[in-house]
Amino acid sequence: MQVARRRYFVTFVAVAGLAATWGLMMAFGWSSKLGIVTFAPWVALIGFDLGLLGGALAAGSSIGLWVIANHTSGVSVDAAQIAIRTGTMLALAVGSALAGRRLRTSEEAQRTVVSLQSALIDSTLDGICLTDEDGEVLISNRPLRRISVEVGLPLSGTVPERLLAVADKMAEPERYRERMRELAKVTGTSTIDEFEVAGTGRVFRGYTAPVSNPDGSFAGRVWTLREVTADRELDRMRDAFVATVSHELRTPLTSISGFLEMMQEEEQELGESGRHYLEVIRRGTERLHALVEDLLLIAQIEAKRVELQLGPVDVAELTSRSVEAMRPSASDKGVTLELVTDHPPIVQGDRNRLTQVLDNLVSNAIKFTDGGGAVTVSVASADGDVRLVVADTGIGVPVEEQGQVFSRFFRASTATRLAIPGTGLGLSISRALIEQHGGTITLTSAEGEGTQVVVTLPSES
Amino acid sequence: MTRRVLIAEPDQDVRELLELTVRRLGYETVAANEHGNVDAMLLEPACAMGRSVLRRFGADAPPVVCLSIYPREDGFEPAASVAYLVKPASSNEIADALRNVFGV
Repeated sequence: MQVARRRYFVTFVAVAGLAATWGLMMAFGWSSKLGIVTFAPWVALIGFDLGLLGGALAAGSSIGLWVIANHTSGVSVDAAQIAIRTGTMLALAVGSALAGRRLRTSEEAQRTVVSLQSALIDSTLDGICLTDEDGEVLISNRPLRRISVEVGLPLSGTVPERLLAVADKMAEPERYRERMRELAKVTGTSTIDEFEVAGTGRVFRGYTAPVSNPDGSFAGRVWTLREVTADRELDRMRDAFVATVSHELRTPLTSISGFLEMMQEEEQELGESGRHYLEVIRRGTERLHALVEDLLLIAQIEAKRVELQLGPVDVAELTSRSVEAMRPSASDKGVTLELVTDHPPIVQGDRNRLTQVLDNLVSNAIKFTDGGGAVTVSVASADGDVRLVVADTGIGVPVEEQGQVFSRFFRASTATRLAIPGTGLGLSISRALIEQHGGTITLTSAEGEGTQVVVTLPSES
Repeated sequence: MTRRVLIAEPDQDVRELLELTVRRLGYETVAANEHGNVDAMLLEPACAMGRSVLRRFGADAPPVVCLSIYPREDGFEPAASVAYLVKPASSNEIADALRNVFGV
């Protein structure tokens, strides 16, 4: 509306200016050159559709004046000069009208794109903003302002400052604060974090990534904030469901494995094939049992209900036990299994849980290595910590999948292609247990060449 | 005199297995709804049957061997419990627990 009103005003001024100039020109007999020079700004100012109208009016009135002048005695007007002036003015009017229309069309198009873009970013559910290299907000959308108000994020300052300001409202303020400080420092990578607002149960997922200038240089960062409370609630429901089902599975497992035990006592009465069938059932039952236990452990870990029974643990000794337990399955497959230890420091840990991790890593290495390959397990002290490396010469994990190997139920394509049995829970459980011990676990692999899993555990001191 | 072990287990197949295990040890089995003298109980504490048996005996409950689908931390263990096994426990584990109860 405002734009339209401004346009009418400008047109009015231009037409009035044109008429006044015309009158002066006629009254004092200006030359056609001077006429063009003085008309030009007015005609250009019209510069809209009205430019044509202005031109036509000007032409019409000059012809009219010429007719009046010819019929009035005592005044003489040069017809040729009038015709030149009129023609020039018409040409100017048409030109400026066309230029004005083109300008307006592109202006309108730009306005449309801008309003569409702001409608777009304002109507998403996620809060979005763009910051410059110092973290100052360049543009933000409406949902971000709404979420900010709800969470109590300040509406001024750099984004890292705003995020830090609400640390005390978070479920884990110390961890949050530390993470936000790290975030303020990183520039080159994109990160995703989730945090819970204490007392409300609301969970938000923040994403931030660098944004580049067209020349590739660092321009700033984009930040998005999404509420994932409902997703987390679904996760909790799913975990509760999995836990219930898994517990219920223990009942049929009890009768299957119990009667299996009884049958095995009478194994001699079965024929050759009967004994084979029994063995197959026993293996299947064991796998089912292991799966149920893994599912339950995962559910416990998710619910943060795993409590470590801490005590001094000699990782070298524990590893040696694991390796010895796995030796039969390695030699069955023709895989060389080697253990290298020096004297690593004693760690504070849960013996059973660490054994679980070791069993998992060593059995994985054997499982994914073909006959003729080798598995090397080494335990050593590294900067006062314990460093355990399980390396194999097996099928490996494709590079693009390595980021997911610690996710629940994830199975590498190299494993599924060869139909190697597994649930995709082992590494996820291992990581959770190692992290609960304050340690780290990483995996590096080259497809077709082998895999290396490195675990570090902090020592007692 | 033969020792009597009450079995309270909701699943029929598991119950049959437990009865077999108990009889193989030379003990007599008592069904959950049967009355009479009981020397020990083998029960699933996380089911209605197990809970009602425990209520019936109250403070006079004989030693209880629990065999549950839930871990001990889940808090189903009754006061009279002397052993807590998680399903699927092997027959040997169940037998050991019962023998311990009777001190054999």
